[in-house]
Amino acid sequence: MTSLLNIENLSATVGGKKVLQGLSLTVNAGEVHAIMGPNGSGKSTLSYVLAGRPGYEITGGRVEFNGRDLLSLPAEERARAGLFLGFQYPVEIPGVNNVYLLKAAMNAKRKSEGKPEVDAYEFLQLVRGKMKLMQMDESFLSRGVNEGFSGGEKKRNEILQMLVLEPALAVLDETDSGLDIDALKVVARGVNSLRAADRGVLLITHYQRLLDHVVPDQVHVLARGRIAKSGDKSLALELEKRGYDWVLEVA
Amino acid sequence: MSAPAFPTQRDENWRYANLRALARARSDAAPAGTVGASALPAPLAGYERHVFVDGRFHAALSQPAAGSPVTLLNAREAGEAFAQLLDGDLAMAGVDFALARINAARGDEVVHVALPGDAAAKLELIYVASAAAATGTSYPRVQVLAGRNARLSLVERHLSAGTIDSAVNSAVDVALASGARVEHTRVQDCAETASVFDTLVAHVGESAEYRFRTATLGGASSRSTAFIKLAGRAARCDFVAASVANGTQTHDAFAEIDHAARDTATRQVFRGIATERGKLAFNGKMIVRANAHDADSDQSLRTLLTGSGAEAAARPQLEIYTDRVRAKHGATTGKLDEQMLFYLLSRGIDRATAQSLLQWAFVEDAISQIEPAELRRVVETALAAQLADVSSLGLLREPA
Repeated sequence: MTSLLNIENLSATVGGKKVLQGLSLTVNAGEVHAIMGPNGSGKSTLSYVLAGRPGYEITGGRVEFNGRDLLSLPAEERARAGLFLGFQYPVEIPGVNNVYLLKAAMNAKRKSEGKPEVDAYEFLQLVRGKMKLMQMDESFLSRGVNEGFSGGEKKRNEILQMLVLEPALAVLDETDSGLDIDALKVVARGVNSLRAADRGVLLITHYQRLLDHVVPDQVHVLARGRIAKSGDKSLALELEKRGYDWVLEVA
Repeated sequence: MSAPAFPTQRDENWRYANLRALARARSDAAPAGTVGASALPAPLAGYERHVFVDGRFHAALSQPAAGSPVTLLNAREAGEAFAQLLDGDLAMAGVDFALARINAARGDEVVHVALPGDAAAKLELIYVASAAAATGTSYPRVQVLAGRNARLSLVERHLSAGTIDSAVNSAVDVALASGARVEHTRVQDCAETASVFDTLVAHVGESAEYRFRTATLGGASSRSTAFIKLAGRAARCDFVAASVANGTQTHDAFAEIDHAARDTATRQVFRGIATERGKLAFNGKMIVRANAHDADSDQSLRTLLTGSGAEAAARPQLEIYTDRVRAKHGATTGKLDEQMLFYLLSRGIDRATAQSLLQWAFVEDAISQIEPAELRRVVETALAAQLADVSSLGLLREPA
């Protein structure tokens, strides 16, 4: 198995506060990993640090992604290299149509791969197919990015973007939060459709229920900025039953 | 008539104007120039066209419709025919009308649009500036009377022949009789060396609706002054302005909307972007008179700064003399939203493109209201040229 993402001893601060404190984690191609943990354990920070959001200071460690030094790349190059962040709170951008964003993002990636711009017809066919899978009406294409979308619609839109961009690694930050059970199933179907031997998924979640639908290869508990415990999918069930305290005590 | 008082920086409504450029607004009238048809934009379907070069009518390039409501008048005749429609004190008092008075004194051709009751028309007025400022100023003048229940779509375009540093001082008066509806769209896309000034006076009668859309893109220096009086009961005004100041451009605007009767309503939107060392100011004044019970005024002024040397000011002013009013207003001046920017970067879009895209999005809600659609696309294309990288995204194509 090839290592897709290799995080070694990563430490990071936000506004002088230590949030990640020596986190190590390896995701191999073909695997789905879930990261669970109590509030404030550093889950969202991990996703932002990986995606290159400004405001986070890396104080130690390294991250290798597909053989490249991820932390040396600006955010846009990380995306083009195949890393996708599904936001916990996707921002609304009125005035920029969804379809423009999808096309611009897709062409940015193709350009970096030395490919020509996507053919307009093929692009629409592709997007329509993915929208169908996500049970999104086509009218969403001509609306502003996330503008006036409900919480569930925003999450579906994140997954739609992911499916169109076909990243090597998807980091999904609490994509399941705020979803009713039907929407959760739709989102899970989208994530499962991306699973492939050459891709990885990092699911950051608070609850076990998403993992009933997207079955992870490994489950990790993040606590106090590092991985406190790892296990298979049964760990998630145990956490659901017993909470996080026992892990924290052991750690 | 004594020499009209000229604005200074001490005058409240002229604080941000470029007064050095303003001095050009009072030169003698420029000699009539000539331009070829190739200098003109594509015609708008269904609109009759009247073309003026350096403020003077150019018959060969114009395409009036049969039974056109447009006539050309000598300035003095026009003034007399029109004066009774407007409040004398509104149109003549104070320093704010200095430019309009100069226009009236120096310009000699007036476009007079008299639309009878219940009639409908679509007019496109194109003003091409071809003379250098050193040879004089052009003085476009338009007077519109929309009769009872008349429907008028009026497109007013200002452009330059080449990159000449022309000076333009235009004046437009619009009177709407009861029930009339006027859609007035103005696009100023003159050369970036031009100085462009305009004064708009509108008088909106009972249950009439005045919709004004304006996009200010060109000119080294521009100043727009508007006075809109909602004179009749339930008169409405919908005022949407967009402005982009690049390089060292200065765009300054003042708009006063006076609710002088009950049940009157206004919606005012301004979206402006100052990039590089551009300067922008929009001063929106809303007056609600004591008798204007149940007036409704909604004002949203927003400016965006994207250059380290850019300046912008959005200033709402409210003068309300009754309690029975609904007034909503907001004004912001800000930089590009970091969260939006990161979202776009995280999708692989490069920084310059992401910035342009967000600038585009910022003005789009004002631009998107320009009618007709053909003209909106012209404005979007001009805007895309100003916001580098946007055109490469295929933003201008309609989504399938």
